[in-house]
Amino acid sequence: MYGLVNKAIEDLVTIKFGADKWDAIKRKAGIEVDSFISNDAYPDCITYGLVEAATEVLQLPASTILYAFGEFWVLHTAKKGYGDMLSAAGRDMPEFLDYLPQFHTRVALLFPHLKPPRFECSDRRSNQITMHYFSERKGLSVFVEGLLNGVAKLYETPALVEQTRFKEKGDDHDEFLVRWGDALP
Amino acid sequence: MLSANHLDSMFPFHFTVDGEMRIVSAGSALRRICPNVTDGAEFSRCFTFLRFGMLPTETFDGQYILKQRSTLFIFAATCSALVLRMQVLVLENPTRYCFIGSPWVRTPAEMRALNIVLNDFALHDATVDLLQLVQSTDRAIEDARRLTSKFEVQRNDLEQLIDTANAPIVGVDAAGCVLVWNQSMARITGIEKHDALKTHFASKHVSEACAQSVESMIASAVRGELTPVLEFELNTKCGDRRLVICSVSPRHDAAGGVVGAILVGQDITELGEYRSTLEQRVEQRTAQLSQANAELSRAMRSKDDFLSAMSHELRTPLTAVIGLSELLVEGVYGPLGTGQTKPIATIAESGQHLLSLINDLLDVAKIGAGKVELNWGDAEVREVCDASLRLVAQMAQKKHQVLSTRLDAAAPSIRVDERRLKQILVNLLSNAVKFTPDSGSITLETHADMDAGTLTFAVHDTGIGIADEDITRLFTPFTQLDSRLARQYAGTGLGLTLVMLLTEQHGGHVSVTSQVGKGSTFSAVLPWHPTAPRASSPASDEARADVKGATPPALSDTGPVIINADDSESCRMTIGDFLRGHGYRVVDAHNGAEAIAAVFEHHPVLVLMDLQMPQMDGLSAIRLLRSNAVSADLPLIALTSRRLADDRAQCLAAGADEFMSKPVNLPQLLATIGRLTGANSA
Repeated sequence: MYGLVNKAIEDLVTIKFGADKWDAIKRKAGIEVDSFISNDAYPDCITYGLVEAATEVLQLPASTILYAFGEFWVLHTAKKGYGDMLSAAGRDMPEFLDYLPQFHTRVALLFPHLKPPRFECSDRRSNQITMHYFSERKGLSVFVEGLLNGVAKLYETPALVEQTRFKEKGDDHDEFLVRWGDALP
Repeated sequence: MLSANHLDSMFPFHFTVDGEMRIVSAGSALRRICPNVTDGAEFSRCFTFLRFGMLPTETFDGQYILKQRSTLFIFAATCSALVLRMQVLVLENPTRYCFIGSPWVRTPAEMRALNIVLNDFALHDATVDLLQLVQSTDRAIEDARRLTSKFEVQRNDLEQLIDTANAPIVGVDAAGCVLVWNQSMARITGIEKHDALKTHFASKHVSEACAQSVESMIASAVRGELTPVLEFELNTKCGDRRLVICSVSPRHDAAGGVVGAILVGQDITELGEYRSTLEQRVEQRTAQLSQANAELSRAMRSKDDFLSAMSHELRTPLTAVIGLSELLVEGVYGPLGTGQTKPIATIAESGQHLLSLINDLLDVAKIGAGKVELNWGDAEVREVCDASLRLVAQMAQKKHQVLSTRLDAAAPSIRVDERRLKQILVNLLSNAVKFTPDSGSITLETHADMDAGTLTFAVHDTGIGIADEDITRLFTPFTQLDSRLARQYAGTGLGLTLVMLLTEQHGGHVSVTSQVGKGSTFSAVLPWHPTAPRASSPASDEARADVKGATPPALSDTGPVIINADDSESCRMTIGDFLRGHGYRVVDAHNGAEAIAAVFEHHPVLVLMDLQMPQMDGLSAIRLLRSNAVSADLPLIALTSRRLADDRAQCLAAGADEFMSKPVNLPQLLATIGRLTGANSA
């Protein structure tokens, strides 16, 4: 993964739990990198190692950490690094979600060494959309759930994100139903 | 031709004007952002022409467009800040000018200000990708700034650390010129950093004597070699020298290449001065010690002289006491009266005891002074043990004690000083006999340990035993554990000390196990390697045979002549009477000169020569006799009471055939004379 992701984990831990915890996580994961460079590619095992070490150091389940990381990614990392671009991606949440597949396609063009996930939208309605998530990486569906909730928070749109298909249960990809407005139960 | 919908999908920011320069169509995105762009609206009311701001919009007409159709057109919207970069497409029948292109935006912020979102762009439009690329590049620049700032802090910290370190630190480039010069260097040398930078370190700042070494060290470090710590003198601004000790290591650039060297040191000028003082003190102390050693050596020589003199003074009368009493017992002076034999035998026995005390004392003193040199050779274990047992057999027989041996067949011989081993065993056996009650038993046992490479000589007795707390005191000189025992059992208390010293001199050790009332075991453990058994000594057999076979001789004034040179009348008389009794004619001499005269007058078969005599001593006389052809081969036995280690060597070197220590063992003397003259007796 690109350094931006690892840097986001560092920011999340440092802001929410303190620099000492981050040092402990790095030690635990055996990471000797002093500072991650955003546009450099790092082996995926570093990111997984950091998450695993974080569960032990922070005494939190991996799902909690990944969900928090998904929200943090949108609300902090993307907003801080790509804030204007983020707001240019859509005037509201539906527009943003509609643009999400294109965004990752363009990211793949910009970063040839990155293997970004693929998103597809279907069943577009006035107050709900179905997001399809395809990735070679395992165990990140919780991160996507956090990310979609982060988008809702970014646009201050009360929304419900519900995973409807699970790759880990045998489906060919993960699927999320995002509902807002009148579609909320 | 594209339909209006397709055109809008492909170019959401396009617009088309007719020959009158009126809007005939526009893309949906453009219409949303610029509401005044409507069908029929005049071009000049909607846009201004921005081609370098040089062409008035009024002149912008179909003719101009046709001339500039290969040009990039830049328009500014009149109702917003939107700028369009367009390419014109000229359509025929009717003539239309279709402008297709994108808004010119450099940042997402500008997009936001124009109320444009990414979805407003056509999918093929690279503007979005370029914006993302710019964003990514901005991010990379931000990372670079962040890291630069971080490294800047680290570099400042490092520079401060180097600068304020209480150790002189110098950095040089590959040519040896100064790049780093910390405050400590400035303080030590008095040369400020700005004056030192770029100067050649070794030639400018190091003393002439050390410059070459320092330069070599720097060159080694630049080659990436390990360099030892170097001590050298630094030049100071005021002309003094400071002594520093430095380690030199390579300086690396970011890529890991060696670009110079770093010298980190310590000012040891004060230490050097202290060291110098210390060396002077050591020198003084060494001189004092040498002097003390010389004095000690003088004292040791004095002690040796004293021991020698005392030995002579004590032995000389003892020779007479023992010798004469033995002759009396043997009836040389005629038969003894009733009741005389026992007292005279007691005199002889007491003399022998006194002699053994003196011998022990001298041995302890000599071993203590390191003056005993072992005469190494292969000895037969059984022979040594039997000989030792024979020496105590009489004493044991008197107490009805049983003596026995249990010898390990695996160790028939051992490399030792045979005489000293015998001394060890006799001491242990004598003690055992002494401290074992009547009818007790004493066993001499040997045990070979192949693995340890040792042979243990153990003396077991059924004696009084020793308490555990007393065992440690056993080997202390002059120690007898109980004063009552001292009275009961005669002895100097030197025997075990001698055993220990002699065993240790052989490279071995002694040990004791004991139980009060049951007995003790004293062991001497000696280094041992299996060797072939050696043939028995003919000389010792001969001596023993002579002793056993000796018969009381009669006094004789005839027979072969022997010159007996001694200044002591008692010694002359003892030896003279004994030899006369064995058929020799004995001619007395009182000093070396008389002995020489007697040789030429009486043509003796042998000369007995005491060493310490007035006028001319024995050694001088021997040398003179050997220098004369007549007496060059004359058998000659040197005698002395001194018992100094080098007496024997001196006598043999002077020309004596044999050397004997006084009091002389008379039967042994007789055997030696027989051997040297070729006759067992006269």
